[in-house]
Amino acid sequence: MKKKTAFWLMVTVAVIAVLALILSETGTIPEWLYLAVLVAGFPLFVLFLGLWWMAREGDADIPFMGY
Amino acid sequence: MIPYLLFATFFGLLLLGIHRKLIARIQRRPGPPIWQEILHTLKFSFKSTWIPATASEVLFVSVVLIAIGIWTAAFFVLVTGGSLLIIFAIYMLHKIVEHGFGLSSGSPYGKFGGVRSVISAASEIPLFVSVSAVAIFTGSLQISDIIAYQAETGPLLFTIPLAAIALYLVILSKVPASPFAIVESKEIVSGYKTEHFGVWRAGLETCNGLKSYVLLLTFITVFIGALPFLGILLTMLLLVVSLAFVCALCPMLSPFDSVTIQTIITGIMLIYVLYLGVFG
Repeated sequence: MKKKTAFWLMVTVAVIAVLALILSETGTIPEWLYLAVLVAGFPLFVLFLGLWWMAREGDADIPFMGY
Repeated sequence: MIPYLLFATFFGLLLLGIHRKLIARIQRRPGPPIWQEILHTLKFSFKSTWIPATASEVLFVSVVLIAIGIWTAAFFVLVTGGSLLIIFAIYMLHKIVEHGFGLSSGSPYGKFGGVRSVISAASEIPLFVSVSAVAIFTGSLQISDIIAYQAETGPLLFTIPLAAIALYLVILSKVPASPFAIVESKEIVSGYKTEHFGVWRAGLETCNGLKSYVLLLTFITVFIGALPFLGILLTMLLLVVSLAFVCALCPMLSPFDSVTIQTIITGIMLIYVLYLGVFG
């Protein structure tokens, strides 16, 4: 994954979470839906944050052949 | 909820760091600083992130997302006063996640960790006995009802102490360097998480921080009841200190011994719950 792609995906997840928070606060969506968005969004945010931060593109690791 | 979720993750990591530091000091070693687990999480984010060629790519990555997702869900269920059964169902799901971590990598160390995770499922049985004892007394498994019951009659810790010990043992089996931590023991490198490095490990560390916070908060909520926020944090700290003493002073058991001891404890707990059910 390109660094720029990871950044935009991270921003998208963050924007969706904040949007869900605002909609929940204004009573447009129920609280459980807001929490469901966070349950799905938090793991994605953590991984995209890390991928944007440092991940490089490269080939797979040396295959482990087993014993 | 978002600030509290982030706080819970970082505080859970800090508790794991305190746990590690205390074990070192009890064993007369200097040990790492208490914020080491937070640094670990950040450090792994800086590392190169690859997927081993032998790994099942989809499972290798998705299992990290599932690990964080299920404990985020457990956190919300707990703080909104939902059902205790859902939290314990998520705890059981975590065993499947550990298994997925181990098997997805293609490494024998990971696979051994995954298999041991299934073996150590024996530690979950005392957990269900705790649930039964709580249900017998409170008549409900809703956390909000359990808190209300304790506000009237006092902490369940004094009413059903053996059930509290059972849940304590389950938490003990999940902390690093515990006598029951057979899934991560050194002879299999890092067990199920051996091949997850870089961002994947950072995600796993995030999950571990959140998991520690949720399990400790579950114990406090179910057996002590509602406390002020600072009281919750101090009680968590006390629990971590006690766990560190057990971990520092007890050797890590072999898989066979670990399961045997947990099974004996389960038997004792079953007799206890039967006694409560008949005479309680």
